[in-house]
Amino acid sequence: MTVTRYTKMAYANADEMIFGKAKFPVKAGLGLEIGAGLTIPELNYAPRPQAGVSKEALVKEYERITRDAMGRIVQIGAPAVCLESEHVQQMSNNPSWGAAVAHAQKTIMEEFHDEYGVKCALRHTIGDIREDRDFLALRAKQNTTMLEAFDQCAAQGADLLSIETMGGKEVFDYAIIRDDTAGILFGIGVLGTSDMEFVWQNIVDIAKKNKVVAAGDTDCAQANTAMFIAGGLLDKNLAHTTAIVARCISAARTLAAYESGATGPGKDCGYENTIIKSIAGIPITQEGKTSTCAHSDVMGNLTMQVCDMWSNESVEYHGEFGGTTVQCWVESLAYDCSLMNTAIKTGNEKILRDLLTLSDKYRDPQGYVLAYDNAFRVGEAIAKNGNDTYLRSKAAAETCCAILDEGVKSGKLLLTKFELNALDAVKKDLAKLPAEKAKFVDQCLAKYNAEVPVFEFSKNYVL
Amino acid sequence: MLDLKKEDIAAILTRYNVAMEKAVTPDEAAKQLFPKDELFKAVAAAIYAGEEDDVIAALDACMKAGKDPIKLIDDALLPGMAVVSKLYDQGIIFLPNVMMSADAMLEGIDYCKTKTKEVPKAKGLVVCHVAEGDVHDIGKTIVAALLRADGFDVIDLGRDVPVNEVVEAVVKNKPLMVTGTALMTTTMYAFKEVNDKLVEKGIKIPFACGGGAVNQDFVETYSLGVYGEDAAVAPKFANFILKNGSEVSKLRTEFHTH
Repeated sequence: MTVTRYTKMAYANADEMIFGKAKFPVKAGLGLEIGAGLTIPELNYAPRPQAGVSKEALVKEYERITRDAMGRIVQIGAPAVCLESEHVQQMSNNPSWGAAVAHAQKTIMEEFHDEYGVKCALRHTIGDIREDRDFLALRAKQNTTMLEAFDQCAAQGADLLSIETMGGKEVFDYAIIRDDTAGILFGIGVLGTSDMEFVWQNIVDIAKKNKVVAAGDTDCAQANTAMFIAGGLLDKNLAHTTAIVARCISAARTLAAYESGATGPGKDCGYENTIIKSIAGIPITQEGKTSTCAHSDVMGNLTMQVCDMWSNESVEYHGEFGGTTVQCWVESLAYDCSLMNTAIKTGNEKILRDLLTLSDKYRDPQGYVLAYDNAFRVGEAIAKNGNDTYLRSKAAAETCCAILDEGVKSGKLLLTKFELNALDAVKKDLAKLPAEKAKFVDQCLAKYNAEVPVFEFSKNYVL
Repeated sequence: MLDLKKEDIAAILTRYNVAMEKAVTPDEAAKQLFPKDELFKAVAAAIYAGEEDDVIAALDACMKAGKDPIKLIDDALLPGMAVVSKLYDQGIIFLPNVMMSADAMLEGIDYCKTKTKEVPKAKGLVVCHVAEGDVHDIGKTIVAALLRADGFDVIDLGRDVPVNEVVEAVVKNKPLMVTGTALMTTTMYAFKEVNDKLVEKGIKIPFACGGGAVNQDFVETYSLGVYGEDAAVAPKFANFILKNGSEVSKLRTEFHTH
């Protein structure tokens, strides 16, 4: 499989983008079509820790989860659902465990599909287990085990294959807590992109062999780390302006899955997905107000703006007053989708989209840049420089800064002095970066080989 | 697309961080806190700026003036870092500033050590680790840096640390506190095992836990557990122990807010 770069936008303008509709819909599983005109709830869950003691216990736990979720979908009359199982480490380190879970889940989903006609699909997100204790081991034997987990899960019932790859994280972790713009860009935009191409070409081959969908990735390991550290309005750990620069760079990285042959839907926690959709036209899953069970963010409505599936990120399986957690959260997701789908069918989808966007657009610099009109512009910057993974990452960061400047100038986006200073520092850092990738890589290798003890370039990357 | 009028935005959301921002700039606030002694002030200013070379130059100036290298750790480097920590606590500067200052200060300590055969005495020792099965270590890295910046020695066991290795490190090094961080609910249960094995051995030091999915309710299910909502409380725990002893119930009373 070759890598085909995106150098053009999938959409002519931002206004064309809408929830429930993607340029290139994806068919998966049992009658599900994603991005084909309606939004779909995508439930994500985690087994209780004690369920991981044995393969049998884990399979039982996932059976309970699946039956509960599918049952609630029927009880409230939702027409479609996607289930996402993010592997606990036992399921990827022992591919037969993940496969047994996939088989058990799919068997139950088939029962519901046959009996009630519920359209459904199963996503398995294999864990990125490519590491030794203190070091990444991206191309070592763990890679073989990971790919085996993909293959076995696909063979046993997973319809959509995903992963949250970690390439570049060792440099990023060092850089993000030091306001080191070059390190953030190198970790996400160069190392992360390169690793994704390595991984995703293999996943696409496995998906083709098993006639399932190579779905998508997310920069959870890096851009979400930045968002998490940045936290809420009063947290003092990272400027939110820096976090959104990292996010925009991550769009240039996550795009590599689709350049390697993946077709979407992108994964829920990829807050960069609006940018990705504008470039690649693939369907995307997003999360926001319904993922407060897993983490807080400052754009709970906005992320719904152009989603194709709507997710809760993850919730541990246990009891609540309203049923088990998976029953409660799949119900919330389904009602959100019902509202969006009603908007689509009554011709009000653009109004609802704009209301969702506007309710958060000025809440935080992250939401401001990810608002679909601005996200589209970041997408254009990436596509314009699409053939060079460094330059497109740099362009994404520069465009992000320009958008923030405009927001401040309009008087609608209010930033703290700290955020303004951080933004100014990022702009100065970007202005100092070289114009050629080779020179940038040389500079970064010299710096991070010396400063990051866990960075093992030659073992993990081929640039 | 639809848009809001500027005057209508405040009805929908409040940027509390903008509304509450202090008038004083970080540089102005720092200047008010720097030591009065010109030599020590230069060390503090270099730490505040996170400039390692300037820290060394300022230390050289101190030594040239006859200051003892080991005493410089307590008299110049730690007070300089304390300025940074105070500004961070007050919300005037952010974590990356602290990390860069900590790097500069630790470079300064290493430099002072090269100038003498004396061994500096730390405020205390803390063992840090990431739970077995968990490789998400950025929180632990921040905890370790903030503890070192506050004058504590840290034994950093790294990530994905087997339960027995944590216990052995505690038995061997007798720290005043052990910290554990975990991102995932699936890995945080290792903390219970660490706790139980420490208790079995009669060890009753506080076990400060936090990160991702960890919460106060969970940490209170094991006897040594003290919940830290963010990394910045780690040095506060350690200083509290120095001042008030290591009774877990006292720490919980002081720091458990939920």
